[in-house]
Amino acid sequence: MLNVLWETEGLQAVGIVVLVCASLKLLHLLGLINFSEDSVEDELELSAVRHRPEGLEQLEALTRFNRKELQILYRGFKNECPSGVVNEDTFKVIYSQFFPQGDASMYAHFLFNAFDTDKDGSVSFEDFVMGLSILLRGSVQEKLNWAFNLYDINKDGYITKEEMLDIMKAIYDMMGKCTYPLLKDDTPRQHVEIFFQKMDKNKDGVVTIDEFIDCCQNDENIMRSMQLFENVI
Amino acid sequence: MAAGVAAWLPFARAAAIGWMPVASAPMPTPPPDNRRKQDGLILLNVSGQKFQTWRNTLERYPDTLLGSTEREFFFHEETNEYFFDRDPDIFRHILNFYRTGKLHYPRQECISAYDEELAFFGIIPEIIGDCCYEEYKDRRRENQERIQDDEDSENQNDMVPPDMTFRETMWRAFENPHTSTMALVFYYVTGFFIAVSVMANVVETVPCGTLQNRVKQVSCGERYALAFFCLDTACVMIFTVEYLLRLMAAPSRWNFIKSVMSVIDVVAIMPYYIGLVMTDNEDVSGAFVTLRVFRVFRIFKFSRHSAGLRILGYTLKSCASELGFLLFSLTMAIIIFATVMFYAEKGSSASKFTSIPAAFWYTIVTMTTLGYGDMVPKTIVGKIVGSVCSLSGVLVIALPVPVIVSNFSRIYHQSQRADKRRAQKKTKLGRIAARKSGGTSAYLQYKSNGLLSDLIDEVTVDPSQALVCKANPMFDTHHNHLLHCLEKTTNHEFVDEQTFETSLLEVSMAKHPPHSPSLSSGSSSQGLSCCSRRNKRKSFNVPNSNMTGGHRNSIQELSTIHIRERPITNSRSSLNAKFEETVPLNCKQPYITAAVITLPTPPVTTPENDGSASSPDYSQANIVRVSAL
Repeated sequence: MLNVLWETEGLQAVGIVVLVCASLKLLHLLGLINFSEDSVEDELELSAVRHRPEGLEQLEALTRFNRKELQILYRGFKNECPSGVVNEDTFKVIYSQFFPQGDASMYAHFLFNAFDTDKDGSVSFEDFVMGLSILLRGSVQEKLNWAFNLYDINKDGYITKEEMLDIMKAIYDMMGKCTYPLLKDDTPRQHVEIFFQKMDKNKDGVVTIDEFIDCCQNDENIMRSMQLFENVI
Repeated sequence: MAAGVAAWLPFARAAAIGWMPVASAPMPTPPPDNRRKQDGLILLNVSGQKFQTWRNTLERYPDTLLGSTEREFFFHEETNEYFFDRDPDIFRHILNFYRTGKLHYPRQECISAYDEELAFFGIIPEIIGDCCYEEYKDRRRENQERIQDDEDSENQNDMVPPDMTFRETMWRAFENPHTSTMALVFYYVTGFFIAVSVMANVVETVPCGTLQNRVKQVSCGERYALAFFCLDTACVMIFTVEYLLRLMAAPSRWNFIKSVMSVIDVVAIMPYYIGLVMTDNEDVSGAFVTLRVFRVFRIFKFSRHSAGLRILGYTLKSCASELGFLLFSLTMAIIIFATVMFYAEKGSSASKFTSIPAAFWYTIVTMTTLGYGDMVPKTIVGKIVGSVCSLSGVLVIALPVPVIVSNFSRIYHQSQRADKRRAQKKTKLGRIAARKSGGTSAYLQYKSNGLLSDLIDEVTVDPSQALVCKANPMFDTHHNHLLHCLEKTTNHEFVDEQTFETSLLEVSMAKHPPHSPSLSSGSSSQGLSCCSRRNKRKSFNVPNSNMTGGHRNSIQELSTIHIRERPITNSRSSLNAKFEETVPLNCKQPYITAAVITLPTPPVTTPENDGSASSPDYSQANIVRVSAL
């Protein structure tokens, strides 16, 4: 008899507790009460990052572009990035659109690091235009310097085989799968070996900036190809 | 590639310098850089509204009108701009496409106008951005459906192709009862009998008072069993005949048998036949009684008669997924609440909730807010659960209902639109006919004037006419000259609609009358040329008459004059007995249903006759308007 009584009462109690919890949860869901301290709604992350570049005159002084060229460059830049800065993801997206067959994200990552000279995680118009100035209007020395900077991932002044391998793999990734002849897995490695054989004069396993520049200046092909993109703008 | 990204191509090329030191082979020479002309502004004038943009912006998409050399066709030297005589509001969106690489569809624009503009500027609509693509596709589909509906309803009410087999006519009569009176009669008769049959089924079960020697009430069905049986037999016979006729007339029998209406028909009449067969067997009479339930399906036969029912059925079919969702969610909720209820009420004494399935009934009644009260919870928990149950029931049922309602409303409005269009079509056709005949009469007028001017130097133009023609004289003259050239090319001439219809009917009648068909066909062909000649003759006869109200009316008058005289002469000079038999001369009206037969009677000179060849005149005089039956 008592058991039956306990049973019913126990059931009632359990039922009430369950109902109360459920209603609390429902109210929380509806936003009427909140348990935690932070607000219930999602904080809309306003991308408050806006960047305005320095004036045309200053940029003219800093780079080797004239006014008209800077105007054209800025218009293109602002069209694609209205907020005035490029972050790495946008950079990757933009660059990948030029290489649809392969995966350009790794190379874009390295490029981004090469352009982002002040290491603030975003490429502003100044960074962009200064990088372009070196690439298009700089002396061969400066260009080679820039290329070395690109390959030297950790910026320690030495290009190791691993760094070179990363770069090489990134470049080969851009090709994608459908190539002729078929890309083998160790093609990048072989290419790195060739590169090191050529560049590493003292065979210490790393390439320094001087070795690099010396070697490139002695190579006809490389010298010629450096002048290739003079008239891009 | 997006347009904006094209602006980054110089950057990508510059960054390629990074590959140079590792390259194993020499690089290819770069393409010759045609010293790009200074990127200038282009002025686009669209119907007075000026747009300006960089030349490079437009040339991002070289396969469109603005991006290719095609735009040079629109260059206007005097103002040194490109002029387009198009809608500037829509052009705004097209120009934005060049600027941003995304094409948007403005919601307030008409879909066909937008499509036209896109086609003009050479832009494919598939590149509409994701933000607007769905809306565009929806509107387009709606428009296509509407056009399809128009075409379908037009096709339905077209002129009856004259040579339809009997089977096709019958099928047409069944599908569209408005086509002929026979079909209409049949339609109403079947409707009446459906109603009678359903009423009989209903009244059968009403208690009708007591029989002698019995105490309890008997139903009317048992009391007047014979009467009801006869009624049922009659109805079923009609339904059977109807079904067999439809089956016979259907263009595709298999499709017809598969269709819903045919299934309903079969189910409606089957119980009767099964009942006939099975009355002997006592064991299955119980089943036979159940079969009678199916007789109620006869009420579904009304859906042929009522468009609203059909719409409802169609709506339910198209909302099948919503209905399924409703059912599923209801079932879930019922099971949950019934379980909770059962366990909550398990303790209370004499509880009606003996099992979970027993609790289903309570849950359903509560969720649909019926609340019969035959089962009520007694414990507190049970009551709380019951209240939550009723609240959630309201919500769950209310959710899919708007979807179903909006579907129904859309389909209903569509059918309303179809009906409205049908009603408007008559006036529309009238207007179109007036315009067409106006056009032909204008041309025929011109012809008479023009021909006159060929022969007579002065062009006698009615002052009222001149007023009318002033609107667009150059266009009209060129147009009329064109039509004249066509006539000369084909050696045929344009005639107005009446005469054409007349000659057409002659041709068709020429097939039917069993006597002297050859003569009639001969005369009818003559009739065609005669019609035009009649026009000419008329113009000679009435050189300077006031042609008020168009050419046609004067022809009408003359022809009536013609005809009014005819019957008298005919009666006088009728020698052809056959002619008299076949033609009931109705002297009151100028309408004579006459087979065109050249009378071998001597030519009777009519006052209008200018002495030209009599036999053509003769047959011409016989060409009369035929009353349309």
